Amino acid sequence: MAPDVSASPVSNQIRRLRFEHGEMTQQALAERIGVTRQTVNAIELGKYSPSLEVAFRIATVFAQPLEAVFQYREALSPRRRG
Amino acid sequence: MSFREKSTWITFVLLLGFGIYFGDVALHMLDPTRAHANYLQLFVLLVVAIVVLEIITHVVIAIRSPREAQTPIDERERLIELRSMRPAFFVLLVGAFLSVGTIHLGASTWVLTHCVLFAIWMAELTRYGSRLYHYRRSA
Repeated sequence: MAPDVSASPVSNQIRRLRFEHGEMTQQALAERIGVTRQTVNAIELGKYSPSLEVAFRIATVFAQPLEAVFQYREALSPRRRG
Repeated sequence: MSFREKSTWITFVLLLGFGIYFGDVALHMLDPTRAHANYLQLFVLLVVAIVVLEIITHVVIAIRSPREAQTPIDERERLIELRSMRPAFFVLLVGAFLSVGTIHLGASTWVLTHCVLFAIWMAELTRYGSRLYHYRRSA
């Protein structure tokens, strides 16, 4: 799996999945899930955690289960970081 | 930079234009004998100028990125808008209370009106400034 670039407890594999889907652009993904390219970029960099609905839409585009796209690291959750 | 971030920058910069009005009002308050502008005329002129400039600049940026301009606001942008309301409301609330306080200092209706207008202006600048901050931070 690709290394995480964010300190967010939610990491993702979107960059890798885009690469594996014919170098899909952020713009193309954004259009398919109904958000802006900047939002896809923010999600990819872990700066923004998407809603469950958008997360499912992303997983559907890549034909992957949700947990293959997004991972939750409990050790970095706000509750644990206190 | 996204279309909405550009739009926010434009509105923020144009809002600063009201500084001309409030600057003149402040100078008049400090020195009532000083010659001053016709405030109603200046205010209306600024509102019209800002609305016209908003329309022109937004048409220009929409022409430059038509696809983005037609994209409906998404959840992250909505979150940014909501987050920006909180500090703006706080500024408005403090401004409103301070404006009411001027009555106890014997201020006229004219001064009170301008204090309220100034609070609204500050709140709007805070709202758009906060949006820009969140856009830069990405969320």
